Amino acid sequence: MNNKWEASMETLSVGEQFAEKVKDNAKKDRIRRMMPIILLVVMTAIGAITQKNFFSARNLVNILYQMSIPLVISVSLMFVLLLGSIDLSIEGVMGFAGSFTAFLVQNRTNSNNFGIFGILIVLVICTCVGALTGFIHTKGRIASFITTYAVGQVMTGVAVLVYNSTPIAVTEPAFVTISQGRLFGIPYLTLMSFAIFAIGAIILNFTAFGRAVYAIGDNETAAASTGINVTLTKIKVFALSALMASAAGILMCIRLKLGQSSIGLNQMFPVVTAIVLGGGSLYGGKGGALSAFVGVLVYTELTNWLTLMGVDTYLRGVIQGVIIIVAVTLTIERTRKTISK
Amino acid sequence: MAGQLLFKANGVGKTYGLNTVLRDIDMEIYSGEVIGLIGENGAGKSTLMKLIAGVTKPSMGSMELQGQPYSVNSILEANKHGIGMVFQEQSLVANLTISQNIYLGREKKYATLGFVNWAKMNADAKKALERIGIDLDVTKKVRDIDFAMRQMVEIAKVLDVVTETANGHAIILLDEPTTVLSDDEIKALFEQVRKMKEAGNAVIFISHRLDEVLEITDRIYVFKDGEETGVFPTEGADTNILYERMVGRVATGEFYIENRQTVATDEVVLQVKDLSVFGAFNHVSFDLHKGEVLGLCGVEGSGKEDVCAVLIGDVEPTSGKVIIGGKERTFKNPYQARHAGILSVPKERRDEGMIGILSIENNIVISHMEALQNGFILSGKKTEGIANEWVKKAGVKCVGIKQHINQLSGGNAQKVIFARALESNCPVLILNHPTRGVDVGSKEEIYTLIREMTEAGNSIIVIGDTLDECIGLSSRIIVLKDGLVTAEFDCPVGNKPTQMDIVQTMM
Repeated sequence: MNNKWEASMETLSVGEQFAEKVKDNAKKDRIRRMMPIILLVVMTAIGAITQKNFFSARNLVNILYQMSIPLVISVSLMFVLLLGSIDLSIEGVMGFAGSFTAFLVQNRTNSNNFGIFGILIVLVICTCVGALTGFIHTKGRIASFITTYAVGQVMTGVAVLVYNSTPIAVTEPAFVTISQGRLFGIPYLTLMSFAIFAIGAIILNFTAFGRAVYAIGDNETAAASTGINVTLTKIKVFALSALMASAAGILMCIRLKLGQSSIGLNQMFPVVTAIVLGGGSLYGGKGGALSAFVGVLVYTELTNWLTLMGVDTYLRGVIQGVIIIVAVTLTIERTRKTISK
Repeated sequence: MAGQLLFKANGVGKTYGLNTVLRDIDMEIYSGEVIGLIGENGAGKSTLMKLIAGVTKPSMGSMELQGQPYSVNSILEANKHGIGMVFQEQSLVANLTISQNIYLGREKKYATLGFVNWAKMNADAKKALERIGIDLDVTKKVRDIDFAMRQMVEIAKVLDVVTETANGHAIILLDEPTTVLSDDEIKALFEQVRKMKEAGNAVIFISHRLDEVLEITDRIYVFKDGEETGVFPTEGADTNILYERMVGRVATGEFYIENRQTVATDEVVLQVKDLSVFGAFNHVSFDLHKGEVLGLCGVEGSGKEDVCAVLIGDVEPTSGKVIIGGKERTFKNPYQARHAGILSVPKERRDEGMIGILSIENNIVISHMEALQNGFILSGKKTEGIANEWVKKAGVKCVGIKQHINQLSGGNAQKVIFARALESNCPVLILNHPTRGVDVGSKEEIYTLIREMTEAGNSIIVIGDTLDECIGLSSRIIVLKDGLVTAEFDCPVGNKPTQMDIVQTMM
């Protein structure tokens, strides 16, 4: 029994009690919303105390570099998860985008040399694939995790077909310049990722489209009743998700100067976890740019710290799993009536 | 009264928060009788049933069962006392078999060491069904049988549960059992009700159909706004008096601001021609004029909600035409309806209307965002300006426009949703229960908003929360019964039809 209220029960009317409860819930909500930030502070503190190198300029730049690809993927996921959907095709699209980019720019395997246009072609194709995914999901009324899983399979397969099972090595000089270039000591790739994330955040927070995504994620029936075009908004979200995934794939290709389907491998779930750590919800309606950013940052710090500590790879998996469960326990909101599925 | 007194309610009432839904009910139930409960939607019939069946507890008053105080915490406990309820929303589990459903929660008596003797359970289930004259394969899953049969299984289950404990003195509550049944099935059900009665049980029967109530019951309790307004023996009951007691007293014209009721112009903004949705309503036609309030009346299931669902794009019609702006249109979704100029204020505010995570500001502008963008970016200046203006105009009590809408009270949240409808620039607005769950003060402000809408040239279709409200607000009323239009009333100020006039065409 919850006896917290018992003392004041006799003195307050039922109406006043209700107001008290609302106030109490709002307070709990505020604390819960602060949790990701607290988590970030704690993680940073642990890192700084246990590893004197943690706060070195070099390691900080390193952390920013490590979080750059997840940050781009988090733009995909922050929109999709806000809808309460999931996009399992991100890894496949990444793999395809990387492979096809390598195929189109100057490389060791064929005589193609489309340069920047090669990249644009990849972005356009992937966006269309995303729109098609959204179309199948909404018009066919097939759950997003099925649709996107299937599309992901197709894209992974196509990626391998593109390079005919031998990954293509890129010789494009611009790729070398970009992957090695730095501004104020920060790699171009990191700066590009942060710029992409900023654009995603602006779309989410300052456009009618972004507002519609929040509305649909919170209450699709209500959103529809306001006359929002629910179907089109969802199709746009999946198109945007694929666009961002392809951008991530291209950045990976630039970084590795190699195009192969496996560059997408195991890239998505860590970011999903990171967003939940940051206060996002898998059921839609909750989360946003800040939670995605904080989540990715905490997650990257954790990985970075475990590496600095020299923890064995397998043990690292164990520790990471435990820490994630503890962290998520602190940040997520729970319903009283149903246990989440 | 032939039988002995089984059940007695003394001044029972129920409040939810500050809202009193039932007050001061006295009731007596004797063995071997069928009692009818009638009243409009929200009159408190179902609430009373829930109190008796143990779903919720009364906030005041007391109940007695066979002379003993009766107070239960759950349906199961009520069952043990011989009281069982057949629910309006069926409570069967679709992916279990019929016999598993009948003995759900009572498997223990068929189990040895945890293993259930299915054969024995099935045999008993078959007997339970036969008792009410039904022959069914009890190993079928519930999802594979139709609704009428499910209803019968539900009745068999409840009967089995209560007779197990209260031999011949069970009380069975039927909450609108006939809505999903065909005429033959209703006949069969009534047959069973009579049998239960002859065996000494008591049955409470709720229905919207007065003819059924008159046919099957011995006594009728009439409810209105959570109060009991009369008890009559069915034999020789005067239907006029029943109607009168159901509609009760009438609010003044002032309450609905009738002095500001507009006279409809000749300009037709929306035409509905011979519209039908298979299984919901047929051949509905009407014109909606510029600046008028058209009321749709009918009991639940009469088809009025479905007509609105077609107009706002939730349902596609089977046949017929909707003509708006001179063009024939079929809406696939509410988005298309909004673009054609029709927007709704939905009935279930929390589930269908409010977007809780967004602020008051965003909830107001959400149906009108396209016009508020500078390029791609939503103009914060414009949205804030509009939101501030509406909050002031509609009298929304809030901390500020950035406050989340789900922190507002029902009435204030509804005003925000009204502001959204007005801000959308849609000439046709469909108001589905515009004052549901709203306090009296907010009601008045909402009525003012409705008058302002029509003065500004909007046209409104309203499904009233009460009949009284529908008459007070409307300049014209269309009545539906069983999916057909049964009457049309002009409601000019000072010469409005009475609730009696309308109820007679509704039921």
